[in-house]
Amino acid sequence: MSIKRSLPTATLSGFTLSALLVLSFLNILLQNLPSSMQRAGDSLLQLNATEGVANAVTTVVVYFRGFDTLGEIAVLFIASLGIGLMLNENSQCEIKAEGNFMLKSASKLLFPIITLYGMYVMIYGHLSPGGGFQGGVIIASGVLLLLISHKEFEVPHSVIVLLETFAGVSYVLIGLIGLFTLDVFLGNFLPHDVSQMGVLLSGGIIPIIYIVVGIKVGSEMSMIVQNLIKRGENV
Amino acid sequence: MFEYFNQPEVIKYIVTIGSMSLFFVGLFGLLSQKHFIKIFISIAIMESSVFLFFLGNTFNQSFTAPIISEGFKDITQMNDPVPHAMILTAIVIGMAVLALGVSMAIEYYKLTGNTEVDKMNEMRH
Repeated sequence: MSIKRSLPTATLSGFTLSALLVLSFLNILLQNLPSSMQRAGDSLLQLNATEGVANAVTTVVVYFRGFDTLGEIAVLFIASLGIGLMLNENSQCEIKAEGNFMLKSASKLLFPIITLYGMYVMIYGHLSPGGGFQGGVIIASGVLLLLISHKEFEVPHSVIVLLETFAGVSYVLIGLIGLFTLDVFLGNFLPHDVSQMGVLLSGGIIPIIYIVVGIKVGSEMSMIVQNLIKRGENV
Repeated sequence: MFEYFNQPEVIKYIVTIGSMSLFFVGLFGLLSQKHFIKIFISIAIMESSVFLFFLGNTFNQSFTAPIISEGFKDITQMNDPVPHAMILTAIVIGMAVLALGVSMAIEYYKLTGNTEVDKMNEMRH
């Protein structure tokens, strides 16, 4: 017997109260909508033009808020670590359903294309919409396709460890090199000429950092997906 | 009749009302459901409503994307890049939290064979 069934009046009054809250909240929100928006990004857009990166969102994420992105990657790493620790190795068991013939052959065809597309999104993150986070997640979706279709497939753990360590260490190292050369953590010490804007090799450290972020996110997401599929299956 | 919906204020009203109703759909699911996975999905719905609210209220459909290219070099006619960057951060963190919570639920189910919040009474004895 649930608590809610036994107390219909409490449920009803709670529902009425929440409806009233919704209405008042909406009223406040709709009255206070700013008509002429004071934008925070105008000064950043002007600064962005001096960094030689076409995509302003990339500049904000990787350069102006670069330290924040480092912390974000640390959060993602801790989540991945927690999942790997929590879903323990002993309960590993067979996946019951195997992908059929169509899924198997199509995944062989699609996996390279998905990986290539993810790498494209990752490498061109400073020129077009996209970037490291998006590209990494696309690559992890390709890994998910392989995991679903091939029962025996497993992401090699040593490769993931190497990639993750490389990516994390190089992010911090790039930041420290900027600290020692320009006195700013994550300073842009590579040449970033404004006339080169729109070219693949432009923007100094910003595309490099986003590729590194993409490698880290892709490997971590692949590990999360694999842990949830292979170890979470046992019921 | 669609010119009315093309006004910036009307779009903002629609975005606000829609995202807030989505938020309360998620809140209702969070409070009424008892299955762990359903609770986490409700939290994800609430998160996505906040993202919609934030992006929809800072979006101006007459401006271009904040990407400088051949035709678009006018900085004053671009959308604000800061909300995009912040929501990108928030999406990644929300995904990490969701994955960790789901794995906790799986592990709890493996230990106790229980999927409902009401029956969590391990700490009571």
